[in-house]
Amino acid sequence: MPALSRADTSLFGRWWWSVDRWTLIAIATLIGFGYVMMLAASPAVAERIGASRDMFILKQVVFLSIAGLIVVAVSLLSPRGVRRLALAGCAMALIMTAATLVIGPHIKGATRWIALPGLSVQPSEFLKPCFAVTTAWLMAEGKRPGNFPGMLITFGLFGIIAVLLKFQPDMGMLAVLTAVLLIQLFLVGLPLWLIGIFTSLIGAAGVTAYFVIEHFHRRVQGFLCFRTADVANKLDAATATDATDCYQIRRALEAFGNGGLLGTGPGEGFVKDKLPDAHADFVFAVMGEEFGFVLCLVLIGIFMFIVLRGLLRLLGEADLFVVLAATGLVSSFGLQAFVNMASTLHLIPTKGMTLPFVSYGGSSVMAVAFGMGMLLALTRRGHTAELA
Amino acid sequence: MTERRSNEPLPGNAPGPGTLARRFGAPRDAVVPRMEDVRVTAPDLARRVTMERTRGRIVIAASIFTALFAAVSVKLALATIFIPMPLRPSDQPHVAVAPKASDVATTIAPASVKAFEMPRARRAMITDRNGEVLAISLPTAAVTANPRALIDPEDAAHKLKSVLKRLDEAQVREKLSDQTKSFVYLARQISPREQMAINDLGIPGVDFERSERRRYPLGRVAAQVLGGVDVDGHGIAGAERHFETRLSEESPPLRLSLDVRVQAVVREELLAAMTEFQAIGACGIVMDVRTGEVIAMVSLPDFDLNDTRTATDDDRSNRAVGRVYEPGSTFKLQTASFALDSGIVHIWNGFDATNPIRIGRFSINDFEGKHRWLAVPEIIAYSSNIGAARMAEAAGTATQRAWMEKLGLLTRTGIELSDSALPLAPPAANWKEAATLTIGFGHGIAVTPLHVVMATGAVSNGGVLMRPTLVAVDPGAPAPTGTRIMQQTTSDTIRKLMRLVVTDGYGKPAEVPGYFVGGKTGTAEKISGHGYNKHSNVSAFMSVFPMNAPHYAVYMMLDEPHANASTHGYATAGWVSAPAAGRVIARIGPMLGLLPETDNAAAIQASLAIPMQPARPPGAAATPVPRASAPVAKTAPPVAPNRAGGSTPVTTPSVPVRAPSVVPPVATPAHDLRREAAARPVQAALVDVGR
Repeated sequence: MPALSRADTSLFGRWWWSVDRWTLIAIATLIGFGYVMMLAASPAVAERIGASRDMFILKQVVFLSIAGLIVVAVSLLSPRGVRRLALAGCAMALIMTAATLVIGPHIKGATRWIALPGLSVQPSEFLKPCFAVTTAWLMAEGKRPGNFPGMLITFGLFGIIAVLLKFQPDMGMLAVLTAVLLIQLFLVGLPLWLIGIFTSLIGAAGVTAYFVIEHFHRRVQGFLCFRTADVANKLDAATATDATDCYQIRRALEAFGNGGLLGTGPGEGFVKDKLPDAHADFVFAVMGEEFGFVLCLVLIGIFMFIVLRGLLRLLGEADLFVVLAATGLVSSFGLQAFVNMASTLHLIPTKGMTLPFVSYGGSSVMAVAFGMGMLLALTRRGHTAELA
Repeated sequence: MTERRSNEPLPGNAPGPGTLARRFGAPRDAVVPRMEDVRVTAPDLARRVTMERTRGRIVIAASIFTALFAAVSVKLALATIFIPMPLRPSDQPHVAVAPKASDVATTIAPASVKAFEMPRARRAMITDRNGEVLAISLPTAAVTANPRALIDPEDAAHKLKSVLKRLDEAQVREKLSDQTKSFVYLARQISPREQMAINDLGIPGVDFERSERRRYPLGRVAAQVLGGVDVDGHGIAGAERHFETRLSEESPPLRLSLDVRVQAVVREELLAAMTEFQAIGACGIVMDVRTGEVIAMVSLPDFDLNDTRTATDDDRSNRAVGRVYEPGSTFKLQTASFALDSGIVHIWNGFDATNPIRIGRFSINDFEGKHRWLAVPEIIAYSSNIGAARMAEAAGTATQRAWMEKLGLLTRTGIELSDSALPLAPPAANWKEAATLTIGFGHGIAVTPLHVVMATGAVSNGGVLMRPTLVAVDPGAPAPTGTRIMQQTTSDTIRKLMRLVVTDGYGKPAEVPGYFVGGKTGTAEKISGHGYNKHSNVSAFMSVFPMNAPHYAVYMMLDEPHANASTHGYATAGWVSAPAAGRVIARIGPMLGLLPETDNAAAIQASLAIPMQPARPPGAAATPVPRASAPVAKTAPPVAPNRAGGSTPVTTPSVPVRAPSVVPPVATPAHDLRREAAARPVQAALVDVGR
């Protein structure tokens, strides 16, 4: 990249000197990881899906490139532009999420996707960053003098989304949205006792969901039965349980175990061949097998770096909207990464959630890029003035 | 973080006239020199307080995220380094499940296979007495699947079909699509090559289950004795079933008493005879009469244990132990044994075989009868039904039945085979005169061929009943002990009588020079429909060799043999079974370590000889046959002194014609049968052809 003079006042020049370059580098590294992992997981998956491996790789290269462009393009926006984009995106994503219930194909027990030519889009993925920015704006507006009912609208919007996601069902997405909302409420200064009540309510909702929603029930069962088997030291998942999740989790843990400290080396893993979701939700396991503990730790470090840097930089931020929006974006990003890695490592029940930038998948990568672009735009130096 | 450390109002917040300066972004430690001049509105203050609290909470949120990622890192370290999940053997890439070195046990000791290490199998091997493998379990695998873990049943079925051609693709697809199941078998007993190929398909949800496959390297050899196993490897018949617990719980090979070489000879000769005489079945047994060990047990038709699909029930049936036949004339040795051993009858006693015996509407007759008085050796050598019946009658029903019980002829033999049959005999209440007469020549009772072998072994080996066994006696172990059932001297007499059958009786075709074969023919008509069928026989030859020191019993039986030109129209035991027995003895003798004795043949033969009409020893003349038990000859017929003093084999004994005055030698007691028999000579409906 040609050196840009600080005096360069072109759009790109101003962007380069104001953007958070460390986070940008971290995101670029993640995209690099995504590229490598796609190469690792593709042979088995391409054969399983029936597509040619070249096609598979080409598709993801295109997706990753588009994701990079989205990050840069969105980060060029002013905070006001981000807000407008998010509001529009939120409305559109909401409509499309509602539409999945009507026209979406039934995949793995849920209707979350809208089939477009060339790719399937999961609108709720886009809802996530847009919703975070929208609620941030609503809350910040509500705090301003005037009678703008920000909180009321926030909860109303959340209610609608919760109902939509429950019917898909996509409890993982709902959990992340709820958690992000909770963090924003926490930051905006809601009394701790109220936060406590909300948390309890969510816990109660989770228990209810366990008993009411079969899909969710199975996921948790899968987690629990495997745990029991673990205790009994019966390592044969086939006899211990019949749940698919158990099978995947077992394979995932075998993959980690096979990888060890330094991994088997690129392309040398074989447990990955038995992981149905090796390219998507379980890509972290493939990474564990082929690249080992050290590189996995580096990956965790990158996610942590992005999250912590994003949050701590907000300490110097004076605008409530920017703080709330950036926190929401960074939290949803961090939570998504955490949920994926934790469920792959059998810390929590499996959730249908991708590892940002690393997992295969078009709409997931682009939605995450969208969110990260907005984060970068909001945290650019000297742009607070563009707000209001 | 210092770029905006400035006190100037930011341009975007351009305050209008009269509004207060906004101080967004001012760091906490920023100096605000003109504070006193600034009027801060309440909302602004509130916002500042909010921001302060928000900053504190941002730190808390950051801490929570740090904790979450730390937890993931710890779990990652555990999963990769500290407690890694072990891989299942079937997950190893491109490696079929093979036994590890530690799984290999050296199990076969005998010289024939001593250098080999056999893969450890759960089910123990079965060998013959020399260590030849009769049954062995080889490791194999079954293909299983968890339909719920499967992604694409159709695709999986198609791929599996491409490797396992024998699969029914539609059926597999149906099994894999059944979401209510979490475990289904797709194929059993696949080869290691097939297992590797399926493993290479990498279909998630498809797995392998280690299993075993029972193989019988010798195929048809001792098929019914071994019996075979079902698809789960459990014995379904024969020794596999009888020794189920032993085979599945103990790993050393089960060493049977069988000798596959002898087994092969018996089968070959039996098959040849069966083919020559177009018999519907055949059975052969070789038993060590000293230990009771069964050396060979053949039943024809048989089947290949490795390919049981075409095996019929008849093929699977073990005629040696699983079916009962009327033993016929082979049982005359038993009659002679208890009659002589009881002391009631003496070898020089004679019985009237002039006329048939009438029992109700049946009569007992002799085939090719002599129609005169017959001494005990003559009764055996010429196989006289009338004589044997009279002899049994003389000994008495109680003696006969007690003998049958003592020799185990009324219960199962105790052979270690699950399919051994129970004899058919009249219950004690019905075992009366008529039964005594017919059982005397082997009719009216049905036992398995092994019963005949066991009983004949007992009367020829010196008088000790050895229970037949299929388990080899260890060379180091003490010899098995039997039950003495008769006096040694009586057994010696029986041996001579058996030898006489082969030297002078109907058993001549079984003679093998140097082996001093002794035996007894037995041709029994089979029951069909309402009665005995003259044209369907069970022709058996029961032999023991060498008679000077009995070691092995050889039993050869043909079921429904047909006469041909070479037998001059006869399908009797002497013509069809005895030659086969002779051929077997000639072939297995050397195998069993017995060489034909030629040097002392004459002396040995002399010691085994017995005259057809032995002389009554001096002083024994007065011994009466108790009238109460049997109305037989009170005095033996006068016998001419033997020319060679009893030491030369009598081939054509000079028998003085008995004076009519001695017939009947005793005043006929009130015995209806006998009187009737004497009064009305008749057609033989109940007849043992007796040869």
